[in-house]
Amino acid sequence: MDALAGLATGFGVILTPGNLYYCLLGSLIGTLVGVLPGVGPLAALALLMPMTFVLTPVAGMAMLASIFYGAMYGGSTTSILVNIPGEAASVVTCLDGHQLARQGRAGAALGIAALGSFFAGTLSLIALTLFAPALAAVAIRFGPPENFALMVLGLVCTLYMISGSTAKGVLMIALGFLAAAVGIDVVNGKERFTFDSIQLTAGIELLAVVIGLFGVSEILANVESQARSTLVANRIRGLWPTREDWRVSWRPILRGSGLGFLLGIVPGGGPVTASFMSYALERRIATQPERFGHGAMEGVAGPESANNAAVGGSMIPLLSLGIPGNAVTALLLGSLVIHGIQPGPLFMTQRPDLFWGVVASMYVGNVFLLLLNLPLVGIWVQLLRVPYRILFPLVLLLSVVGTYSANKNLFDLWVMLGFGIAGYLLRKLEYDLAPFVISFVLAPLLEQSLRQSLVMSPDGALILAQRPVTAGLLVVALVLAALMFRRPVRLGDN
Amino acid sequence: MAERALNCFWILLGIAAAIHAHGLGMFGPSGPESGLFPLIAGLLIAATGIYLLVGKTATTNPAWPRGPALWRVLGVVAGLTLLAGATQYVGFAVASAITMLVLLKSVERAGWIESLAITLAAVTVVMGLFGHLLGMPLPRGPWGW
Repeated sequence: MDALAGLATGFGVILTPGNLYYCLLGSLIGTLVGVLPGVGPLAALALLMPMTFVLTPVAGMAMLASIFYGAMYGGSTTSILVNIPGEAASVVTCLDGHQLARQGRAGAALGIAALGSFFAGTLSLIALTLFAPALAAVAIRFGPPENFALMVLGLVCTLYMISGSTAKGVLMIALGFLAAAVGIDVVNGKERFTFDSIQLTAGIELLAVVIGLFGVSEILANVESQARSTLVANRIRGLWPTREDWRVSWRPILRGSGLGFLLGIVPGGGPVTASFMSYALERRIATQPERFGHGAMEGVAGPESANNAAVGGSMIPLLSLGIPGNAVTALLLGSLVIHGIQPGPLFMTQRPDLFWGVVASMYVGNVFLLLLNLPLVGIWVQLLRVPYRILFPLVLLLSVVGTYSANKNLFDLWVMLGFGIAGYLLRKLEYDLAPFVISFVLAPLLEQSLRQSLVMSPDGALILAQRPVTAGLLVVALVLAALMFRRPVRLGDN
Repeated sequence: MAERALNCFWILLGIAAAIHAHGLGMFGPSGPESGLFPLIAGLLIAATGIYLLVGKTATTNPAWPRGPALWRVLGVVAGLTLLAGATQYVGFAVASAITMLVLLKSVERAGWIESLAITLAAVTVVMGLFGHLLGMPLPRGPWGW
């Protein structure tokens, strides 16, 4: 009942012309980002985050969140029509979606993708509405040791979901810690790793890091491959799926919704893992698995539902615990911190307008996205004609402006460039960059929790073993870490 | 080869970070000092670097760019370097226009008219959106824009 009352408050906050405008704008940008290959939701969020500094926190967060889930909707359009994923979570949609388009069924595939996304997104939002307050109510009793243990467990879970080597994931997390330590230590004013450079005393700017790692490095990878695309269908007809399409799709949509939501909650999970897992599940339980890869509607319905449901799931640890499960939610956390808001168990009670406003905005954004992606799909199809040679210099300029705008400091451009080159090289060597961003954002909170824990205890580090919840969480983290190094294959490997 | 060099770099970076962090202090009268957390991070980096160097974790045949692909990548890096370096002297508008023109001509091999048109449109849109509509003070050149 509290949740419903809270949601009503949220709708009261979001249903104003100004907030609706930013929600619609975010949905539009998110769809655009999803449709255009080479611009991921993370880079787009980083580029547009400075624009939200002048907005109210509700409008800013509603806009950023809608970019995140909007990209999940838009990504399927490019996968189905061009066979190039608009963003990473739509990679598997290429397999069957594009085959359906080649068979003249692009409209039905786009329709199932959009409607499945809508249903899954709405179901996961209902679950978010019910679960997040319950989780926050438990977490409100947590002190610094429990928060520390929770963040450690989150980072260990992240390692389970990354692509590539676990050791490389550990290294990325440690590098994120180190990069976050640069600057003045807020506790005692000591300079760390600044090497007498005044530019480094304020630390390394999050936006420069994210735009470099995910924007610039993506551009470098794209200009290297110089991918050429062919649009399969110029005009889209028959968007409403047939009775047979619904018959084969409704179960995958429901399964994708549940799976996506659960994988969204798990730290390290998120839309990309959810879509891959859903595809693997549908193929495994199918009576005719050989249809997959040749235009099976279930291969579109499941993954597209899963990646949207994962967005709602991933908002739960962010909004109720203040712990980001993936790089995008890490950036959303950074945005809240920049607005002077500390997410965590107290967030819902201290800022109910913002908490419920963001949740309500996601319901509204889902409706916007359904309208944008079904009746207006023709516009997005035309956008796919924009050649990359026009797109990439523009994205590069936006990257520079986005980086500069955070601190009005030209030094950040060099940081962006350095992280861009590093990101490009590390991706070549199969390093997953998401753990770096997550640990970079979490490091100050983790260090603060550890220090507070050690200060409040007369027994030093033993406090971590003396408190049952802390000890339990750390034991789970240790067991998971031990199992990880015995495990030959990770979830993200396929 | 590149991966081995990188792993050696991780080891050196981790050791250097740990030494620097140790100098910042570990524990003081008011609890953990500034060096504790970076020391743990540095040691973890060095240890993982050693594990990666001696373990069988090498990437299978990373595809490094060659020929025209390499030049396109280097072209974008050069363009960004030019933009980052020149902005403080000539302002954002001029630096970005030069960079875009260079990128379109050298990386994408576009024609002069197309390059000039795209450059003009892109710089005008970005300056108009951020500089005027959003009121963001973008760096200006000696001529005031």
